[in-house]
Amino acid sequence: MKLMEKQSFIARAPTITVHVPAPLRKCCSGASKIALPVTDLRAMLEELERRHPEFHRSICDETGAVRRHINIFVNTQHMRDCNGLDTSLAEGDEVTIMTAVSGG
Amino acid sequence: MPDRILICIGTKKGLFVAESSKARGKFTLRGPFGHGGVAVYSALIGTRGTPRIYASSCNPFFGMKVLRSTDLGKTFKETKSAPAFPKDDGRALANIWSLETGDTPKDLWCGVEPAALFRSGDGGDSWEMVSGISNHEHARKWQPGNGGLCMHTILRDGNRVHLGISTGGHYLSEDGGSSFKAANKGVGAGFTPDPYPEFGQCVHKIAGHKDAPGRLYMQNHGGWSEWDGPGGRRPDIGVLRSDDHGKTWRSIAKGLPSDFGFPILVHPHNADTVYVMPLEPSTRTCPGGAPAVWRSENGGNSWKKLAKGLPKKKSYFTVQRDAMDADELKSPALYFGTTTGQLWIGREGGEKWECLFDALPPIHCVKVAVV
Repeated sequence: MKLMEKQSFIARAPTITVHVPAPLRKCCSGASKIALPVTDLRAMLEELERRHPEFHRSICDETGAVRRHINIFVNTQHMRDCNGLDTSLAEGDEVTIMTAVSGG
Repeated sequence: MPDRILICIGTKKGLFVAESSKARGKFTLRGPFGHGGVAVYSALIGTRGTPRIYASSCNPFFGMKVLRSTDLGKTFKETKSAPAFPKDDGRALANIWSLETGDTPKDLWCGVEPAALFRSGDGGDSWEMVSGISNHEHARKWQPGNGGLCMHTILRDGNRVHLGISTGGHYLSEDGGSSFKAANKGVGAGFTPDPYPEFGQCVHKIAGHKDAPGRLYMQNHGGWSEWDGPGGRRPDIGVLRSDDHGKTWRSIAKGLPSDFGFPILVHPHNADTVYVMPLEPSTRTCPGGAPAVWRSENGGNSWKKLAKGLPKKKSYFTVQRDAMDADELKSPALYFGTTTGQLWIGREGGEKWECLFDALPPIHCVKVAVV
């Protein structure tokens, strides 16, 4: 997509809110929430990679896959119960990034 | 003038730093360092110029980080980035197993899992994959051992670079790290029909000494003397020596209670003196529940048990591949850490052992320097 087309597309895209987990706020200048104009989760991760690469590296590996112990929720639904990274986002949606329960 | 001993202890729950005067009397302990106490498998104390400590931090949630300290391990900060495979490579970094210094204080070499090599020219803030080994024609045929497919050893000797990969074997570069060849002649494998394959051996650790160029010692995956299947028995393939820069290897395991183990260490001032920690091959624990370091003072021709002060029974720990080191004082002390969280010091080159800390998290690596 050409830059002007992309800018126009982004302008029309719904604005969603990404909730940043506390340990990763240092990657986003301390922000606990980030507002993004995106239409689905894949686009959200791409936009996060562009704006906050360190944050993106912490939730996705080099292949682009979401890390094994990271869960992404759209409102209260886990993305795996929706349409994965192709889950559509609507105006006002809240995306929460959380660490899984694991340890030992 | 160096006046203290620093010990970096990488554990399942973060990095600890122990410190004492050169008398090695009381050791203080600080840590754990690393976000949330995550596993640390590799550490490096760079002593050229301003001492710098580096450690890997294997965060199960947010991926690998590299920690750096410029104040002798009092504080650590994450570097700007960790090694990462190119986006179109298809591999994703799982762990960092080795950190070594290069030609300058800020030049770092890093061996990772899945087995690949990275370099940094700026003290760990940016990294570049070394294609000559990471994309070697064998690379996609290497298989993970029990610990993962890890590049755990990086040894440099001028333009020669030796790499140890489990399971991949020993690879040698003679052009400064641009290209590599498998160099495993005489290195056995107990888990393939061919007892001496070109590559794919489960090398556990390789050690060398600056005063003996060309000589290397290897702790290989031994414990195959009972095998009676295709290819025949493979006794004594676990502890090896090379005298031609790793091109050929021969067994020096005769006299040891087991040829299985993980670390191998050369005395800092004597290339003929080498240490191993034999383990029971099936359990990876101390034979008979009685831990002992074994020392050869003649390059592996004969071995002596060093166990004074160590438990005589009921001790079933493992000492992992990077969990043994020595300081470089005139009469060096040895140190090893156990999977049961004990850190031991062997004074007078391992003649007298004493437990410095007995309740740390499981220990993955121990690195010592006089700074």
